[in-house]
Amino acid sequence: MTLLSVENLEVGYAGRAMLPRVSLSVEAGQMWALVGRNGSGKTTLLRTLLGLIPRVGGRIARPTGTRIGYVPQRLDMDLSVPMRALDLVRGGQDTGWSFLDPRAPLRGRAAVRRALSDTGAEPLSSRPFATLSEGQKQRVLMARALAPDPGLLVLDEPTSAMDAAAEETTFDLVEALIRGRNLGVIVVAHHLAILARRATHLVYLDADCGLVLAGPTAEVARNHTFVEHYGDLFSGPRGGHHAHVGPTAEVHR
Amino acid sequence: MSETSLASFFENWELFQTSTLAGTIAGALLGWLGVYVVLRRMIFLSAALSQTAGLGVALSFYGRIHLGLSGLAAEPTLGAAAATLVTTFLLVGGGGRTGGVRRDALLGLAWLLGAAGTLAIGTRIVQEVQDIQSILFGSAVAVLDDDFDRVVTLAAALGVLHLWWRRGFQAAAFDPEGARVRGLPVWLLDVVLLCTLALAISLCTRVLGALPVFAFSVLPALAAISLVRTVNGALVLAAVAGALSGFGGYLLAYRFELPVGASQTLLAALLVGVASVGGRVLARVRGG
Repeated sequence: MTLLSVENLEVGYAGRAMLPRVSLSVEAGQMWALVGRNGSGKTTLLRTLLGLIPRVGGRIARPTGTRIGYVPQRLDMDLSVPMRALDLVRGGQDTGWSFLDPRAPLRGRAAVRRALSDTGAEPLSSRPFATLSEGQKQRVLMARALAPDPGLLVLDEPTSAMDAAAEETTFDLVEALIRGRNLGVIVVAHHLAILARRATHLVYLDADCGLVLAGPTAEVARNHTFVEHYGDLFSGPRGGHHAHVGPTAEVHR
Repeated sequence: MSETSLASFFENWELFQTSTLAGTIAGALLGWLGVYVVLRRMIFLSAALSQTAGLGVALSFYGRIHLGLSGLAAEPTLGAAAATLVTTFLLVGGGGRTGGVRRDALLGLAWLLGAAGTLAIGTRIVQEVQDIQSILFGSAVAVLDDDFDRVVTLAAALGVLHLWWRRGFQAAAFDPEGARVRGLPVWLLDVVLLCTLALAISLCTRVLGALPVFAFSVLPALAAISLVRTVNGALVLAAVAGALSGFGGYLLAYRFELPVGASQTLLAALLVGVASVGGRVLARVRGG
């Protein structure tokens, strides 16, 4: 099932594209990782996919009714707002104009409980969000993203400021969510050694070289430009999901 | 003064009822709204809107005297509301930034234009200056029945709206990006929230004065936030603290013969201090 379809998408600012066109199709069960160095355009592409900044050109489509769960960087959350973990998760339930319906929170109780349970955040629900550890905050933010029962989960650098063990645990959780909820996932992350084993697909971005590679992980990892930058990181055994092997889209500007 | 002072206050309740209740209701309304002001770090908004309300009042008088306007077109209350609403729309712009200018810089610009514009226009309507002072800064001591009715009506309307749209306002205020991804009408929610602030601040400034309005829109929220662990709890507690400051401040003013606005402000500040200590104690108890 296609959750997000992107055709000839151009991203940038003020009507100027900063990367070549990119096309991709995110299916349920896939994990797409956006990788590249700082300033490569990862965040711009992610925010364009989310509709937070206007696209310069091309097309983004998703089936009617497909919801997106968004996990922002933890540093984006204002910790001065008094909020328990449970309140934060409940706050993620409303979509569109549902905030006008006073009974919506009652109907969504089960979804909130499931989101907390799936992310292992239930024991944290009564604790103030600001007092949680980084890993605990991440679980709560994932539960919040899952509260509206999304088909597509988008995570912006979910493991920044985490040690290697916490990072592995976070990606274990993401994989479990993909299996348990048949989600599609788009993730921005830096730690390629972990992504090599986890992501089914990669989008490699390099604004300096005007290069975008998008496709199954194994295909992208063999590209000479990618190998030049990251070496042989992706040659190890891959775990998790099987990539759908198809043609890799390589676009130079 | 003796205890009989307060007894005489309640014995003559009919005399003070309108003013006391106006302060209480305005305190509750602005206390609730102040949670958004404080948590969104827009404390200067209240001051800026008060100033632009002043410019709106001055423009209304100018229109009446020099342009021959009459009726609603020259009504100072509407002038104040129009000026604050225009300012609000300019401030909302594109989220935190408007045309590349930070929102806090625009707040500063609004305050300065409001202050300078009022002073400049004031020189052309000298004969109305006393009226302007009264209309601009109100008098919590004596609130007219019409003004009291306006405060009650506005508080009821905004109260219903804020209870109904509460989840939307909170999503747009505290997690605008997440709300946009989920398809909430964030721009509209932001505009409506700021318009409710503008209306409340402009009317309450007209009726009670600038000082207590600024105090009500900041201090009760500060007190509440240091005590509770949820935004909903902060909204309710801030409304209660605002009402307490409005009512108690009037009593203190009567008891100790103080200016009403000042005593309401001082009581609200005292609540912040008490809440701050209480919050630390609570944190230790919860932590332990």
